[in-house]
Amino acid sequence: MSTTTSLASWPWRMVSFLLWYIKAFVLANVYVTLDVLRPKRRMKMSPAIIAVPAASESDTEWTLISCFITLTPGTLTLSISREHKILYVHGMFVESRESLVEEIQEMEDRMLRALRRSPGDLSRPIRVPDVVPVDEPPEGEVR
Amino acid sequence: MELHDIMHGAGLVFIFLGILTIIVAGIGLFRLPDLYLRASAVGTSAGLGVASIVIGALLMDFSGLNLVKAAVAVIAQLLTSAVGSMAIARSGYLNNSLPAEITHTDDLLKTRRDRATDPEGESST
Repeated sequence: MSTTTSLASWPWRMVSFLLWYIKAFVLANVYVTLDVLRPKRRMKMSPAIIAVPAASESDTEWTLISCFITLTPGTLTLSISREHKILYVHGMFVESRESLVEEIQEMEDRMLRALRRSPGDLSRPIRVPDVVPVDEPPEGEVR
Repeated sequence: MELHDIMHGAGLVFIFLGILTIIVAGIGLFRLPDLYLRASAVGTSAGLGVASIVIGALLMDFSGLNLVKAAVAVIAQLLTSAVGSMAIARSGYLNNSLPAEITHTDDLLKTRRDRATDPEGESST
């Protein structure tokens, strides 16, 4: 994509992300509300904490994506690891690891396209790296 | 006059939606099993409830200045409720508040140094 065409589509990408987010936000609200009001033995809840590989780069992008995930009812950012590029997301209705990862990455793709003048590199690590505790936290990472 | 009546009605609808959301969030506080579910479902639903009431009040008393005030109030409310939920959930995790039994996967458990050598920690994934 050349610079001029990507600049021209920038406002459109912002508006389309906002509209998509409002739709996702309202739908998630309805799901959570219905499940809270459902009798206990028929609750569909299956919570999980999943490590989601992320494509964000700058401080702004990390802050915004974790805020957007937390704002959606039913999903919650617990922690991030910028060194390994992972978001730790707690989900309320997680059927499988793949379904939550797909949902979060779709939101991140749309957000990054809306934030950046040209989308650039949206690739992520394919496989979640094995994160093991180290005695000294890596530089710049707060536990 | 016609438009004024419609906006008044829409304002009432928004305010009642907001009240309903906050009531459901309160019921959720009692019914959900652990800290993380409560923080994710309740914290932000309550944020939406307040935002909806603000929008309803704006529609009932519309002016340019009120529009600016309402926009600032809604954005600040949503941002702070998100950051607050994250802070509560994270500090809960660091203070050993374990997720409820029904939580089927916990990737964050692998990164804990006091559990990395614990064989039970591996079987939970």
